[in-house]
Amino acid sequence: MSIAMTGRISLQQAKSLVDFLESGQQEEADAIINEIQNPINSELFAEIGKLTRQLHDSLTNFQVDSRLNDLATADIPDAKERLNFVIARTEEAANKTMDAVEAIFPVVDTISEQVEAVKPSWAKLMDNDLNLTEFKSLCIGIDALLKTTGKETSHIHTLMTDVLMAQDFQDLTGQVIRKVIDLVIEVEDSLINMLTAFGLSTEKMQEKAMPKVGDNLVEGPVVNAEERDDVVEDQDDVDDLLSSLGF
Amino acid sequence: MKVLVVDDFSTMRRIVKNLLRDLGFTNIQEADDGSTALPMLQGGDFDFVVTDWNMPGMQGIDLLKAIRADASLSHIPVLLITAEAKKEQIVMAAQAGVNGYIVKPFTAATLKTKLDKIFERLG
Repeated sequence: MSIAMTGRISLQQAKSLVDFLESGQQEEADAIINEIQNPINSELFAEIGKLTRQLHDSLTNFQVDSRLNDLATADIPDAKERLNFVIARTEEAANKTMDAVEAIFPVVDTISEQVEAVKPSWAKLMDNDLNLTEFKSLCIGIDALLKTTGKETSHIHTLMTDVLMAQDFQDLTGQVIRKVIDLVIEVEDSLINMLTAFGLSTEKMQEKAMPKVGDNLVEGPVVNAEERDDVVEDQDDVDDLLSSLGF
Repeated sequence: MKVLVVDDFSTMRRIVKNLLRDLGFTNIQEADDGSTALPMLQGGDFDFVVTDWNMPGMQGIDLLKAIRADASLSHIPVLLITAEAKKEQIVMAAQAGVNGYIVKPFTAATLKTKLDKIFERLG
């Protein structure tokens, strides 16, 4: 049926019909009448033609979208590296901070011990109850305290500056994570386009789909506790739950 | 008192160690998951275990179950400090015989309260 149809019947069909009737071929003549009365075949062919063109276009576009290839082979490996960078930088920052804090603890303890050491004599002095020998020993104690405090406060100041500077990871990791979020958005769009191209409705699935966050039960920190009712929000919730279990 | 701190992140082990030291625990050892922790427990005379749940090798919940199943270890109190916050998990840990459950992020005060409670109960 490759004949172009402008009206309901073609000249070729009319001629064949007359030929068949003149030569007494009634069945063949009826077949032509059926063909003329039933335009479904030609519409079906037109529809198939349209679909074929669409399919061809889709496939061509799909191949042309080399961005998908870039995403898989370049951008996603790059994102993995970026996220590893975030782990490394945050770990480094945590350790730098703890180095400084652990160095401050003993210094504070020393100052605190020296304060405790002079306290009794100091109290006696305030009560006018200190003899000369005790006063001399108090002076030695206070001298030590002043020297220690003077030296160590500048040490502590330096360590506190280290703690401050260790927080610079936030800016860097923030930028890196933002890049990765952009990539995730792009991948999401590509996947949705792909699902649409293959005629898989995403709307229906979206309703049912729940993110799969981890193997058997374990999922790590909950980031949306207020939207869920299967998780606790804080320690009070944990304690309440445990005490309701008789804990 | 000899304490074993089990967590796959060295920074978290360091935080817990510092907090425990502040509370007077000085004999502290570390393991990075349950499968490293278990032989240490079997080999040493530990009095207390603080463990994370989510670790790459043997998980905290399985370590807890293994401790409770081993007659020579079953008396050791176990405190879970974890980001796992599903009610189902807390119930599971309670049923497995955990002595305390702290959800991350946590504070030094929370740790102290839970430790006091655990040792008060043990007498």
